[in-house]
Amino acid sequence: MSVCLSACIKSTRRRGRAMLLALGATLSTTVAPDAAHAQWSTTYETFYLQAPHNWVFRNNYQGADRLFNAFDYGHAILYETLWTKPDAPASALEEKIYNKLTREVLVRPPRVPLEEAAIEIKYAQLAPEAKVMFDWSHILHRQIYDVLADERIAQAAKDREVQRLIDYYKTRPDVAFSSKPKSMKLMQEQPFSLAFREKYPRFNGLIWGYHWLQVGLYEPLIVGTTPEARQAGVRATVARFWQMLEQPPTSLPYQMPMTAAVAPAFAARYPEAAIIFDNLHSMHDVVSDILTNPSVPRNRKRAEIMRAAARFRDDTSYVMPVAAWRTMSLAMGVENMGGPAVNFLTALPTPSVTRGAVMQHDDATGKMIGMKTGAMTGAMAGMDHSQMDMGTTPPVVPPAGAGKTPPVDHAAMGHGAPARDAVRDTANTDANSMGGAHAMPGMMDLHMRMLHDPGIRRRVMADTAMRRLMTESMATMPAEHQAMMADMLRADSLDANRVVPATTVPKKKTAAKAAKPAAPRKDPMTGMDHSRMAVPPRKK
Amino acid sequence: MFFATTLALAAMRPSTARAQTDYFNTDAGRPVRIEDAYALERRGFELQVAPLRLERSTGGQYRWGIEPELAYGIFPRTQLEVGFPLAWIDAGIGRRTSGLAGVDVSLLHNLNVETRIPALAIAADVLLPAGKLGPDRAYPSLKGIATKTFSWARFHLNGQYTFGDAPGEQPGSTSMLVGAQVVEVARWLGGVAVDRTFPLRSVLVTGEIYAQEGLDEDAMTEWNATVGSRYQLSPRWALDAGIGRRLTGADRVWSLTVGGAVAFGLPWSR
Repeated sequence: MSVCLSACIKSTRRRGRAMLLALGATLSTTVAPDAAHAQWSTTYETFYLQAPHNWVFRNNYQGADRLFNAFDYGHAILYETLWTKPDAPASALEEKIYNKLTREVLVRPPRVPLEEAAIEIKYAQLAPEAKVMFDWSHILHRQIYDVLADERIAQAAKDREVQRLIDYYKTRPDVAFSSKPKSMKLMQEQPFSLAFREKYPRFNGLIWGYHWLQVGLYEPLIVGTTPEARQAGVRATVARFWQMLEQPPTSLPYQMPMTAAVAPAFAARYPEAAIIFDNLHSMHDVVSDILTNPSVPRNRKRAEIMRAAARFRDDTSYVMPVAAWRTMSLAMGVENMGGPAVNFLTALPTPSVTRGAVMQHDDATGKMIGMKTGAMTGAMAGMDHSQMDMGTTPPVVPPAGAGKTPPVDHAAMGHGAPARDAVRDTANTDANSMGGAHAMPGMMDLHMRMLHDPGIRRRVMADTAMRRLMTESMATMPAEHQAMMADMLRADSLDANRVVPATTVPKKKTAAKAAKPAAPRKDPMTGMDHSRMAVPPRKK
Repeated sequence: MFFATTLALAAMRPSTARAQTDYFNTDAGRPVRIEDAYALERRGFELQVAPLRLERSTGGQYRWGIEPELAYGIFPRTQLEVGFPLAWIDAGIGRRTSGLAGVDVSLLHNLNVETRIPALAIAADVLLPAGKLGPDRAYPSLKGIATKTFSWARFHLNGQYTFGDAPGEQPGSTSMLVGAQVVEVARWLGGVAVDRTFPLRSVLVTGEIYAQEGLDEDAMTEWNATVGSRYQLSPRWALDAGIGRRLTGADRVWSLTVGGAVAFGLPWSR
């Protein structure tokens, strides 16, 4: 028996060695010859936080939830195409894949969250750490939807639960985006920046449309006061997203949607989450630019992505104060980002910049200091922000007869979106920025003329940013005018706050056409002393 | 006539299925034997609820079993798994027996994420002598795994070696032969699997071919082939099904396997 056992053991050992050699040979042939120079990556995934609210958003808002699954596909196929087909014509993304996304994938979105590694196969091998960063943040995205969509949870408990999710998110500092706001310089003023938006404007607009909905959909869940209101609000916001796809790229966002502008109530309540998502979306654009820009050699793409990822994770690179982040977000103009996520008019807002324009901001205050690329449009057109050292020195007065529009201190005006600080600055710096104290009656005249139009009043009340600006500017008016203005605006607020139902979102109309004829009501300006305001007689 | 025939989900192996969260991360035996190199997510659990395996031998005998398993992502890129194979044995002439056929404990550690280097993993496994139909002794084994993904398909290579003597060879052993036969332990196993994913449908189609040799000194090398599919039913539930056949040897059995797994996590943050 012992002889037999010994023989068996020897035989076993021989086979074991042979087996291990075979396995080693197999593995060595699998590994490419250049693999020694490739990255040895040990990143990993973590399961989402188990909680009773898991997948509630999926159950209660199925249509919106499925769109997010489709968005995952859009992001993944974008990166895979940029990385694997660098020489493909722009039409490959701008037409073929874009059409597939908007006519098939978004129309019949997947039932379940997708495995992006099965779509962005080669990109995932290029930068697995960045992929896990995105995945981890998308989990936070979805879990916060779940909390806000769970009707069983009281508001205070929701706040605690969102904080718990953020804390859980931060348990992975190796893949978590910083919750400190980052300057837009990190996204769009790097050597490789803007390549994607310039070569693929339609696809870039679509990605920004995705991001608009991803942050915007929090807003109806926050501001809706009843389950029915939240349902209607989510449907309306989703319908707005579809409206953005009607005439691409014109109807798509012109700027990266910033959470503080698109979803101000969410950003005010959960600033850390909003900042994380803005950083996430910025990083999406950065990866697109790195992959698109031929000035970054292929053997440097991974290194650049890793460098950008590290900057988005740390709490020191390109950091700006939270207040400055809010100011910057609003100064970029919500109208350039697709508009607010709730309380919008039927027509899409008219952008005030050229598509993909790059505004420059002061990192300390967030105020706009100029335009690096692109230009203002409409009423803002013709202003040369690049030569305007705004916000730091008094505006330069052009020589008489120069034939150009005199530069205006937009930093102080807070145009595009009225940050509280910006408005305060407007009041304080009127003498410099608006042509002196003599301009005030003119401005009031302009205000009154505009607000006399019920359509404009409705629009002001429908736009959270404009409404806030108007409300705050009223503080500088005489008391009796404040009361009149308040009455006038309040009279329209109910109509403006009405959410546009998804089923009633028509094709594009002008704001004036969209406005329903108001029922006759008492003139809110009755009794106002117009003679002191130099307001012309009203037309009957 | 005595059919000391088997079994179970664990039919041809000492190692249990590697539990992972979704349809894309393949588990050994669910439905193919060759698995990928990735572990369950950190802090994630996966419960293989009732994976069923049915076999039909050349003689027409049917044998079946289930093997509930629980896996946990205990460390980064590392999972711990415990399986409890339950066997139903047709011993012929109306003699049947059933029971626990051992306890399978395994630890899989993923070494790296795939870049240009394939994803690599190592796994240690031990089949413990527990239950009425369990083996007569513990059988430890080691496994190496590699996964390489191309745009059109993904390939997995597995190689496994089991230590220990063949059943009945241990001096003074009085263990039941049945135990050893219920859980067939291969001395070595090597194979390759290929799969293709349809991500928008959350479906994976896979096929494998592998060879193995029993513990006995004079055991013949057996070749086996399996095809199957995995499907993500919901964010938590993944289903799988497959059909296979032994390609060599006297008993060229057909096998059918169907299963489902549910994933969940830890409810606390730290």
